[in-house]
Amino acid sequence: MENLNINRHISGQFNSELESVRNQVMQMGGLIEKQLGDALAAMADNDIELAQQIIAKDKEVNQFESNVDQECSRIIAKRQPAASDLRLILTIMKSITELERVGDGVVSIARMVIENHGQVGPSLIGLENMGQIVLKMLHNTLDAFTRLDLKAAIMAHNQDKKVNRQYESIVRELMTFMMEDPRIIPNILKVLAAARAIERIGDRCKNICEQTLYLVEGVDVRHATEEEINSFLIE
Amino acid sequence: MIRLAKSSTQREVLTHLSAEQTALEIKNLDLYYGDKQALFDVSMKIPKGQVTAFIGPSGCGKSTLLRCINRMNDLVDICRVEGNIALQGSNIYDKSVDVAALRRRVGMVFQRPNPFPKSIYENVIYGLRLQGIKDRRRLDEAAENSLRSAALWNEVKDRLHDNAFGLSGGQQQRLVIARAVAIDPEVLLLDEPTSALDPISTLTIEELISELKEKFTVVIVTHNMQQAARVSDQTAFMYMGKLIEYSDTNTLFTTPTQKQTEDYITGRYG
Repeated sequence: MENLNINRHISGQFNSELESVRNQVMQMGGLIEKQLGDALAAMADNDIELAQQIIAKDKEVNQFESNVDQECSRIIAKRQPAASDLRLILTIMKSITELERVGDGVVSIARMVIENHGQVGPSLIGLENMGQIVLKMLHNTLDAFTRLDLKAAIMAHNQDKKVNRQYESIVRELMTFMMEDPRIIPNILKVLAAARAIERIGDRCKNICEQTLYLVEGVDVRHATEEEINSFLIE
Repeated sequence: MIRLAKSSTQREVLTHLSAEQTALEIKNLDLYYGDKQALFDVSMKIPKGQVTAFIGPSGCGKSTLLRCINRMNDLVDICRVEGNIALQGSNIYDKSVDVAALRRRVGMVFQRPNPFPKSIYENVIYGLRLQGIKDRRRLDEAAENSLRSAALWNEVKDRLHDNAFGLSGGQQQRLVIARAVAIDPEVLLLDEPTSALDPISTLTIEELISELKEKFTVVIVTHNMQQAARVSDQTAFMYMGKLIEYSDTNTLFTTPTQKQTEDYITGRYG
C-alpha cells in the first residue's frame, strides 16, 4: 500500500475508492486460494461434501468479479484515472477476469471428484502434486500483486514451466492407464479434464503476473520471451 | 513499488524532428520578471501541423512560455528574455524582427472571449482591414471561410452585421478564433480557451481545435488535464518554471517518466 501511494491523492474520496477496490481484489484472491486448496483436499480425500461446497461457493467468486468490475467502471467514469492509477484499474479489471476463471477451474476439479466418486480410477498422486505447485504459484502471484513486487511476480511467472512439464507427464501416465484398461477410459477422461483445468490455472497466474509487471513497470510483456521478462530482474 | 517508465525511443522523436517538421524551436529560454526568474532554461521543438499542450499547476510558467512565442511579454516592462525561439528557423527575438508582422504569423486567443464592440463581420475581418485590404469580395470570402473554419458560420450567417456582444460565450470564443484565423497565421496560440465556457461549448471548441491543426500549428495552454489528453498530440508538463517532461500525449498520460509528472496527472501531493 505504501508503495502504491494510493492514499496520497488530493481527493480523499478517490483514495478510499481505490483502496476499497484493491481490498476486494485481495479478498477475492484469498477466497479463490482457499477454494483451490479445498478442491485439492477433496480430491485427495475423495470428499464429495467438500466438493459440493466448493461448487456452491463459486457464486461468491462470480459476485466478486461483478462488484469489482462495476466499481472500476465507476472510478473510470468519475475520476478519469491517469498514469499509475489508470494502470492499476486496468490491471485489476484484467486480473479479476483471470481470477474468476481460476474459480471455474476449481469447479472443474470439484466436479471430477463428485463424478468419479466410488469408481475405479487411476491414481491421482501426480495430479495432487501438480495441484500443490499451482496452489503455491497462485499464492505467490497474489502476493506479488498485493506487494507490487516485481521480483516475486517474475519468479511466480517462471513457475509455470514446471507446471507444464508436470502436466505433460500426467497426460503420458494417463494414456498408459487407458491402454492398460480401456474400461476406465471415461473416468480417465474426467481426470484428464481436471488436469487440464489445473494446468490452465497456472496459465492464468502467469497472466496475472504479466499484468502486475505492466502495473509496476508500464511495459506490456504479454508476448515477451522468458529472457525479456527475466531481464527486468537484472535492471 | 511502482516504477516510472524508462525513456523509450518514442520520446526521442520530439528531439529529432527535422527542420521541416518543426514549427517552433525554443532554445535555452530564460525569462525574468524583474529579479524573479520565471522560466528556467526551457528547450523544446514544437512540431508543425500538430497540437501541443502545456500543462502544469498555476504559476508554473506555461502561459508565460506561450506569451513568449508571439512576444506578448514585450508589453511587460520588467520582463527580460534570454535564449531564443525560432519560428520556421529564424529567431523571433532578433532585433530586426517586426513584432506586428510576427503577431500576424502567430495568432493568439485568450481565456475570456474579447470581441471588439463591432459587428460579427467587422470583428472577423478586422485584421485584414488593418492590412489595408479593401476589396469587398475578398473580405466577404475571408469572413465566410474563417467563420466556417471556426465552426460558427451556420449559426451566424444570417446576422453577420449584428453586434458581436449578442453572441453567447462559446460563440464569442469561436468568433475570436475566426478573427485569429482570418489573417492566416502559421501558429495559433490558445491560452486556456475554454476555461470560461460550459462543457458543451468546450467540446465544440475542442472539436474545432482538432480541425484547425490541419491548417495551423496549435499550441494550447490548459488547466484541464483531460482536455490536454483529448485534444493534443504532444504534451509538455511544466513545474516551477521548468519544462519537466515533454512527450507524445498518449505516453505522457499512461507512462510518464518523471515523478513530478506522475504526481500531477494523477492528482497527488507533489
